[in-house]
Amino acid sequence: MKNKVVVQDYSLSFDGKNNVLEGISFDVNDGEFISLVGPSGCGKTTLLNLLAGIIPLIGSGSIKINGRDPEIGSRDVAYMLARDSLFPWRTALGNAEFGMEARGETKEFYRAKALNMLAEVGLKDFSNSYPKELSHGMRQRVALARTFALDAQLLLMDEPFGALDAQTKLQLEDLLLRLCHQFKHTVVFVTHDLAEAVALSDRVIVMSSRPGKIIADIRIDLPRPRSIRELQKSEKFHELYSVLWTYLEEGWVRHEG
Amino acid sequence: MKDKNFLIIGHILLLPILVITWETGAQLGWINPVFYGQPSGIVKFLIKHAYSGALWKDLGWTLAGTFLAFIFGSIAALITGLVFVQFPKVEKLVEPYFNALNVMPRLALAPLFILWFGLGLTSKVAVGLSLCFFIVLSSTVAGMRAVSQDHLTLCKTLGAKSTTIFFKVTLPGAIPIIFSGLRLGLIYSLLGVIGTEIVASEHGIGQTITSLATSFNSNGVMALVFVLAILGVIIVRIMTSIELYLSRWK
Repeated sequence: MKNKVVVQDYSLSFDGKNNVLEGISFDVNDGEFISLVGPSGCGKTTLLNLLAGIIPLIGSGSIKINGRDPEIGSRDVAYMLARDSLFPWRTALGNAEFGMEARGETKEFYRAKALNMLAEVGLKDFSNSYPKELSHGMRQRVALARTFALDAQLLLMDEPFGALDAQTKLQLEDLLLRLCHQFKHTVVFVTHDLAEAVALSDRVIVMSSRPGKIIADIRIDLPRPRSIRELQKSEKFHELYSVLWTYLEEGWVRHEG
Repeated sequence: MKDKNFLIIGHILLLPILVITWETGAQLGWINPVFYGQPSGIVKFLIKHAYSGALWKDLGWTLAGTFLAFIFGSIAALITGLVFVQFPKVEKLVEPYFNALNVMPRLALAPLFILWFGLGLTSKVAVGLSLCFFIVLSSTVAGMRAVSQDHLTLCKTLGAKSTTIFFKVTLPGAIPIIFSGLRLGLIYSLLGVIGTEIVASEHGIGQTITSLATSFNSNGVMALVFVLAILGVIIVRIMTSIELYLSRWK
């Protein structure tokens, strides 16, 4: 298997004194789903933004995507924000189209693809609705459609379900599991929700709070395809959850001590 | 629902009550019609003025002035606003002067503009434009600055071109704010034009109002003021419905 993302001994400081990230090393294989978890302020979003090229590589060490430095606007990468960030003046269809439109695809192509993706996320009948007419969950579905429609090899997701209520969150996690299974993307997923990380990922990387270091890199060998409901009953799921929880706590103790 | 019906009936009744009281007062000599006019006289004046064509000619001049002031003022403001958003340093540089110009009562410039541009259309357009410009400018700048950072981040990660960002993100997001500026701008264009016509002009409703007032034709003045009120209402209605259409996603 080829390494899609390689991070080597990466440290970053914004003020030259305090490190935000310290000695981060990990890699992500092609088609792998990894989650970055950790307390808020541990630098997981910073790390994601480095991968997306939103923050320039001003630290030490190296970060490579497909063997190259991350580059903002790269066609290989699709980035999904915590908030749905839909354009309120565009319909669900218009929003699903936007990514492809901004990347200069033809209208014929992106219209068909967006309609297709809206159907995939279960919003076939809402293509002409404006975001204000949609619930939070539906809006995030549109954002998923916009992201997956880009056909990027690497998806970077920054707590995409962080603002949703518990039930909607479970539904969208199921949807994401299905989409990832279907389209075989490589995903780096940031979350502070351990259960979510275990349910979705092939590997979970646990980070400590500032300076962000990797405490653990745990393989989640739960069989795929997965369903959130089935996982709730799985002993292995709860076992992995408690292992991760111990690591996370350890990170806290180390920080406070 | 009951309250709403009551309001509608009230709205309809209020005008006849006012008109009948006014007319009766004038007939009985309680109100001096030489100074305050009387409804029957106002209606007579309007009919005569409309039949002779004078009303339409005046209205034409005033509206032409208003629209020219509005169109040129708005275009200039949109372009200036764009420059300000794109180059904030330029805005900083001219800010104190623009602020001073903006707070100055622009009607005070009317005599000067009349001196420069004569009694024709140009002088009133200049005053209307100077009012409209600053209103549309501040709403343009405010609207375009209000663009969401999330949207910009998204565009950057998509590698969107800056023209794409402007036409597909910044501009559509700013349209509701810009448009409420345009609505006010149009009303102020009318104000500037009428004001200048009152100071001095060859044609227009404002000019006719002054000449009627100096010859004690109160009915005539009242009639034209009434026409202006209706004109204002129509302008606001049209602009509001365009605005509602353009911000139907809100």
